[in-house]
Amino acid sequence: MFRWSISRRRWLFAYATLAPVVAIYLYIRILPIGQTFLMSFRNWDLISVNKPFIGFENYLELLRDVTFLRSLRNTTVIAFGIVFLSVPLSLLVAVLLATPRKLNPFYETAYFLPVVTSMVPATLAWKWILDANEGPMNQFVGWFGVEPQAWLINPRLALFSVILLSSWKILGYNMIIFLVGIRNIPQDLYAAATIDGAGSWQRFRYVTLPLLRPILLFVSVITVIQSYNVYTQVYVLASDAQGAPGYVVRVLVYDIIENGFRFFRMGYASAEAMMLLVIVMTLTLIQFVTLRDRA
Amino acid sequence: MKVLRKLSAISMLVLLTSVALGQTLSIWSGFPEMEAFYQRVADDFTTDNPDVNIEILTQPLRDYERRITVALPSNSAADILEISSSFAARLVQGGLMPPLTEDLQTFVRGDAFNDFFVENASFDGDVYGVPLFRGQGALFYNIEMFEEAGLDGPPQTMAEYLDYAQTLTARDDSGDPTRSGWSLRLTGGGSGVAEKFWTILHQFEGSLVEQTDDGSWVAGYNNEAGAEALRYYVDLVNKLDTVNPELRGDAEGFQLGTTAMFIRESWVIGDIASKTPDLPYATALLPRGTIAIPVNLYVTNDNPLAYEFIEYALKPEHQLWLVENVGWLPNRQDIDYTPVVESIPQLEAFLNIPEDHVLFTVPPISAIDEVQTRFAERLVAAYINADLVDNPEGIQAFLAEAAEETNQILSRAGLQ
Repeated sequence: MFRWSISRRRWLFAYATLAPVVAIYLYIRILPIGQTFLMSFRNWDLISVNKPFIGFENYLELLRDVTFLRSLRNTTVIAFGIVFLSVPLSLLVAVLLATPRKLNPFYETAYFLPVVTSMVPATLAWKWILDANEGPMNQFVGWFGVEPQAWLINPRLALFSVILLSSWKILGYNMIIFLVGIRNIPQDLYAAATIDGAGSWQRFRYVTLPLLRPILLFVSVITVIQSYNVYTQVYVLASDAQGAPGYVVRVLVYDIIENGFRFFRMGYASAEAMMLLVIVMTLTLIQFVTLRDRA
Repeated sequence: MKVLRKLSAISMLVLLTSVALGQTLSIWSGFPEMEAFYQRVADDFTTDNPDVNIEILTQPLRDYERRITVALPSNSAADILEISSSFAARLVQGGLMPPLTEDLQTFVRGDAFNDFFVENASFDGDVYGVPLFRGQGALFYNIEMFEEAGLDGPPQTMAEYLDYAQTLTARDDSGDPTRSGWSLRLTGGGSGVAEKFWTILHQFEGSLVEQTDDGSWVAGYNNEAGAEALRYYVDLVNKLDTVNPELRGDAEGFQLGTTAMFIRESWVIGDIASKTPDLPYATALLPRGTIAIPVNLYVTNDNPLAYEFIEYALKPEHQLWLVENVGWLPNRQDIDYTPVVESIPQLEAFLNIPEDHVLFTVPPISAIDEVQTRFAERLVAAYINADLVDNPEGIQAFLAEAAEETNQILSRAGLQ
C-alpha cells in the first residue's frame, strides 16, 4: 500500500494552504496586468463596441506624445527626488534614535505620525503651508532674505513641493525600518570596532552601513515604487477650482486616468500603464542587482 | 402545514417591507450647488408620491464625469444624469443612453425650448436629453472699484477691456499688483482654461474648432483672431503686469476684492448672494457675444418615475427658483423671468440677450474635451512665457504647433 512520506505530506499541506492565496493573487493582481497588456494593443474605446487590434500603434504614439513625455519626466524627477531626500534623512534620524534615550519614544511617534495621517488632509495642510499669499512657508524663507515664492504655480517649485511633502510623509516609515535594522546589529561588532579605535563615523561607515545594505535595498525599492505611483498628493496639491491639476505637475498616473476615464482611450492608457510597469520593474531589478551583490 | 404557514408569513413580511421601503429614484449631478434644487423638486415630487425614495448625489464636475463614464457601461449609473450636451454626445453615440419617451420628445420639440437647446440635446433625429439649464458667460465688475477709478460703466470694446484692466489694477509700493484689474483664467487643468480663452477668441471672431463645408472639423485658432486673443493674455500678464497666477482671481478673488472684473457664468450670482451679499457689483454683456453651454437631464433606463421627476423639475416655479437661488439659467423660454430680473438686476446680462449678441457653444463632437484639455495645457505655459511679448512670430509658431495637435486629435477621432 502506498504511503506518503511525512516530508511529502508537509509539502502537500504547504501547497494546499498556499493555493487559495496564490489563486486570489493571480486573479486580482496578475490577471488584470495580463488584460491590461492585451488591451494596450487595441484601440479600446471605453464606450464603443468595436475595439480593433492596432499592434504597437499606442506605444509608438506614446513616444511622440509630449504630454506623456512630460508626465514621465515629472514622475521620474519626483520619484528620484523623494528617494534622494527621504532615504538619507530617514537613515540619519534612525541612527540618531538608535541610541537609547529617554525621549526616543516621543520622537519615534512624532516622526511616524505623518505615515498614519491620511494623504488628503495632510496634503490640504501642506497646500495651506505652501500658499503663495498666506502660507507660512513664504514667511519661513523670508527670514533668510528669500522673496515670496509661488510654490504651487511655478513648475519647478511645484515639483519640489511634491517631493518635500512626499518625503515628509514617507520619512517615518523608512525610519522605523532602518531603526529595526540598526537595533538588530550585534553590539559586539561596535565594541570590537571601538577597541580597534574606530570613532562614531567609522563605526557607522564600516559597521552600520554594510550590515544595513539589505534594509537599504528594501527601503529604496519600496520608496521608488511608491513614488512612481504618485497621484493623490499631486491631485490635491495642484488642483484648481475644477479639481484637476494643471500641466505644472502632471504625473503618469494622472495622465493614465485622464486618457482612460476622461478621453475614454483605455487602450492608450493601458499602454501607458505597461510603460509604468516596465519602468518600475527595471528600476527594481537594477537596485536588486547593484545592492544585493554587495549586501 | 406549519412550513406553509411559515413561508406565507415570510412572504408577507417581504411584501410589507418592500411596500414600506417603496421605490427608489436616483439622480446624479456634477454641480454640487444644484443639490438644493433637486432636493426642492424631490420634496415636491414625494408629496405626491410618498412611497418614492429619492437619492441625490452631487460631486465636483471632473470626478463626476469619470464616475458616469465607468458607471454607464456597467449599468450602475443613476436613473437620471445631469450632463452637458458636449460631454453627453459620446455617451449617446455609444448607445449608453436611450432616447426620451415620445411624449417627452414632443414636449421638448414644442415651444418650451429654443431650437439651439433642442439641437444640442438631439442625435440622429431623436431627442435624448431634456434641456434644464445653461452655463452662459458675462462680465462681472465691482461698482465701487470702477467709481474709485473714475470709470462710469463697463468696457464696451476689447480695446477698452485692455485700458480698464490697467486702470483698475492696484499695486503696492514696489509696483507689484495687489489687485488685478481684470482676472483671467491662467492656470488649472481640464478644459476650463481653453473654454475661457475661447470666449476671448470669440470676441475677435475666432473659434477653437470649426466645421468645414464637407462636415469635417479643424482647429480654428491658428489665424489672426487666435494671435490677437493670445497676445491679450501674454501682454496683460507679462508686459502690463495687471494679473498673474498668484493673485486670487475668479469668483473667489472677486468676492475677496483682489480683482475688479472678470468673465464668468451666472452661478456666481448665487455664490455671491450666499457668501458676500453686500458686494457692490453689476454685470454686463461682452462686446460681441458669449458662450452658452447647455446642460440636460438624461434618463439611463426605462424607470417611469424618472420621466415623471423630470416633468416636476421643469415646472415654472422650480425653474424660477433655480435662477433666483442657484444662479444657473433655466432653458425654458415660455416662462416670464421679468420678476426675477427685477429682484436681481445682475441677471439682466444673462436673461435679456439682444438679437445681435452672438452665442456660441462647445460642439457635441466626441473629441472636443481632449482638444480643449490638451490645448489648455499649452495655453497655461504660453500665458506666463515672457518670450512671447512683442513676438508675433513666436505666437504664430505656438498657435501652429498647437493647431497641429488639435487636428491630430480630431483626425484620430474620425472627425476629419
